[in-house]
Amino acid sequence: MAQIGSYVLLLALALSAYSFLAGTVALVRRDHGSERMGETARRAGIATFAMVLLAAVVLVICAFQDNFSIAYIFHHSNRDLPAPYKFATLWSGQEGSLLFWSLLLAAYGFVLRLRYKTDPRLFAYASVVIAGVQVFFLLLLNFAAHPFAVMQGSLPSDGAGLNPLLQYPEMVIHPPMLYLGYVGFTVPFAFALGALIMKYPGEKWIHVTRRWTMVTWGFLTCGIFLGAHWAYSVLGWGGYWGWDPVENASLMPWLTGTAFLHSVMMQEKRGMLKVWNMWLVFATFWLAILGTFLTRSGIISSVHAFAQSSIGEWFGWFLIITFAAFLYFFLMNKSHLRSEHKLESLVSRESSFLFNNLLFVLACFTILWGTWFPKISELAQGHQVTVGAPFYNSVAIPVALLLLVLTALGPLLAWRKTSLESLKRNFLWPALGALAVGLVMMISGVRPWNDISYFYALMAAMLAALVSLTVISEFIRGGRVISGHSGQNLFASMVHLLHRNTRRYGGYIVHFGVAVLVIGILGTPFNREAEKEMGYGDKMSLGPYTLVCQSYTQEYNENYSSEWAIINVLKGDKQIGTMYPERRFYKASQQAQTIPRIRSTAAEDLYLVYEGLNPDTGRPIIKAHLNPLVMWIWVGVWIVIVGTGVALIPNAQAVVRVPAPKLVESHAPAGAGD
Amino acid sequence: MTIFICAVVTLLTLVYVFYLPGELYLGPEKTRAAYLRERKDAVYENLRDLNFEYKAGKLPDADYQSLKTSLQDEAATLLAEIARLEKNPPPASRRAKA
Repeated sequence: MAQIGSYVLLLALALSAYSFLAGTVALVRRDHGSERMGETARRAGIATFAMVLLAAVVLVICAFQDNFSIAYIFHHSNRDLPAPYKFATLWSGQEGSLLFWSLLLAAYGFVLRLRYKTDPRLFAYASVVIAGVQVFFLLLLNFAAHPFAVMQGSLPSDGAGLNPLLQYPEMVIHPPMLYLGYVGFTVPFAFALGALIMKYPGEKWIHVTRRWTMVTWGFLTCGIFLGAHWAYSVLGWGGYWGWDPVENASLMPWLTGTAFLHSVMMQEKRGMLKVWNMWLVFATFWLAILGTFLTRSGIISSVHAFAQSSIGEWFGWFLIITFAAFLYFFLMNKSHLRSEHKLESLVSRESSFLFNNLLFVLACFTILWGTWFPKISELAQGHQVTVGAPFYNSVAIPVALLLLVLTALGPLLAWRKTSLESLKRNFLWPALGALAVGLVMMISGVRPWNDISYFYALMAAMLAALVSLTVISEFIRGGRVISGHSGQNLFASMVHLLHRNTRRYGGYIVHFGVAVLVIGILGTPFNREAEKEMGYGDKMSLGPYTLVCQSYTQEYNENYSSEWAIINVLKGDKQIGTMYPERRFYKASQQAQTIPRIRSTAAEDLYLVYEGLNPDTGRPIIKAHLNPLVMWIWVGVWIVIVGTGVALIPNAQAVVRVPAPKLVESHAPAGAGD
Repeated sequence: MTIFICAVVTLLTLVYVFYLPGELYLGPEKTRAAYLRERKDAVYENLRDLNFEYKAGKLPDADYQSLKTSLQDEAATLLAEIARLEKNPPPASRRAKA
C-alpha cells in the first residue's frame, strides 16, 4: 500500500507541474495549438485531484489496518485508537496534514476546473496559479515531509498513539474546517492574480469568486471557533482564547479576509479600491500560508504547534517567491487597477468600509508583530521575548470597539454621501437604545471608572446593543416597504426582504451574530475561580454555587485509564446537578490529560477541572471557574454561520425600471475594461 | 500487483489528460461592450438599492434626488457608450466556438 501511496503522490506532482507549465505556455503563446495544450493542462489539474485523493485514501486505509511499517501511522495512531480518531490521523501530524492541505487545494481546483465554461480564459489563469501552489505542496510531500516514509529496523507491534490533546470529538472536525478556510483563500487569490495578469476587463472575477470567498470565510470562522471551543473544553485553563501564536495565525487571514469581504463591495458597486483589494486578497492568501507554516514548522513555540521540523525553509522560500511574483505582476499591470470613482464624502458607506478595512489591517498587523516578536527579539538580542495577552488586548479591544461602531453605522450610511439629517433619522433610536443599555448596566453595578476592563465591558454592551438595534431597524424598515406593496404581514415581508437581497441581509444577520458574540466576550472581566483540595464531603464555594465532593472513581478501557471526581453542585440549599471532572492517562503515548466538565447556562458557565493529586498531601485538587455569558459566544457563532449561509443563497429576481438611454457627449469613459 | 495497479492508474491518467476528441469550448472573448454591460448592471443595482432605501425612509428627499441623478447620469454614460459600440462593433475575434 505504501508504494502505491508514494507512486500516486509522485504522479500527482508530475501532473500538477504539467498543469502549471503547459497552462502557462498555452496562455503565453495563444496560437491554435495552445488551446489544446491549455485543455490538457486543465485535465492534468483535474487528474491531480484524483491522485491526491487516492494518496489520502491509501493513508487512511493504512491507519485502519494499523500498518505501523509506515512511520507516520506509527507516530500518530495505535491499535486501540477509536475509529474516528484513526480517520483523523490523516490530519493529526505534519505529513498527513500537508497531504490534507494538498487534497483540499486539489478539490477546490477540481471544482474550479469543472466550472471553466463560465469564463474559460479567466479560469485558465486561475487554474495555473492554483497549479503553482499545488506544485509547492506536492514538492514538500514528495521530498521533505513524505507521509508514506517507512520505519527503519524491526516493525513495532503497536503505534505511539495520537496526542491526547487531539483525542476530542471537535478535533475530528476543527482542523478540516480551518484548513478548508486556509486553503480556500487560494481560490480568490488565484482569480485576482489571474485577472491582474490578463488585465481582465471589469469586476466579473469578483462576482465569480464571491461565493468562494464567503464559503471560505465561513469555514475559517467555524475553524477558529471550533478551536476556541476545543481549547475551552480540553485545555482546562478555563479560557477559550490565549493569543497563542497558532491561534493568532488563524486569526490574521480571517481579519484580512473579513476586510476583503467588505471592501470588495466598493469595487463591485463603485469600481473603487482596486489596488487595495488586490493587496488584501494577496495578504489573506499569504497569511494563510504563513499560518500553515507557523502550525507546522514549530518555529515559534505554541501549545498548538504539533510539529518541529525542517520544512520551515521550504515555506520561507515559497512565501518569498509568491510575494516576488505578485509584486512583479502588480508593478507590471497596476495601471489596469485605476479607481473609477473618488471618495465623495467622509460620511458615506464607502468611508465606513475604508475605516473598517484600516482597523482590520491594524489589528492584523498588531497580531503579526506580536506573534513574530519572540523571533525578532531573538535575532536582535539573542534571546526570545514573548508578548502576552495585555499587549494584544491593548490594541485589539479598542479596535474591536471601533469596528462595532462601524458595524452599527455602516448599514445606515448611504453610498456616496450621507447628510446629517439622514444620520439623525436613522441613528437616533438605536443610539437611545444603546444608551439605555449602558444606564441599566451602570445601575446594576458596573462601574466603568473602577477598572478599565469594566469600561470596555460597558462600551461593548452598548455597542452590541447598537449593532443589534440597527440590524433590527433595517429589517423592520425593509419589511414595511415590502408589506406596503404586497400586503403580507411584517414577518413574512422580512423573510421576503431576505430573499430579495440575501447578501446584504445575510450580512446583517452576521453582524447581529457578532453583537451576540461580543456579549459573550464581555463577561470575561467578571470571571472568578477557586481551587481546593477536596476529600469526601469537602465543600467549596464559588459565586452562588456550593460544590460538595461526593466521591472519586476510576475507569479503564483499551485506550486510556481515567479517574473521575463526582461533585454535587448546590445553588443555595438545592442540589441542581452533579458534575464529573475527569483526568485520563493514555496508555500508548504515556501522557495525562484533564477533561474539564462544564455546566453551561445563558448567565454563566460553571467549569470544573480535576487537576490530579497533590504530590505532598496525596489529596485530589479541584479547580472551579465561574465564567459569565460564555454560552453567548457559541450562540453568536451559530448566528454568524446562519447569516453566512443566507448570504450564499442566490437573490430572488427583481425587476428594475431605469431611464431610457440618452446619448451623452464627451463624458469621461467608464474606467478600465479596455 | 503494486506495479500492475500503478501502471493502470498511469495509463488511465494519460488517456484522460491527452486524449481530446472533438472541438474544445473556448467561450466568447470578453469585449469592452460586455464589460460596460456589467458596469451598467452594477449601476442599475445601485439604483434599485437607492430607491428601496428611499422608500424605507432612510433618505431625505434632497439626498435621494441628488444620489439618483448622479447614478442616472452614470447609467446614461454607460448606455451611450454601449450604443456607440453596438453601432460600430470592433472586428470579430478569432475565438469562435463549437
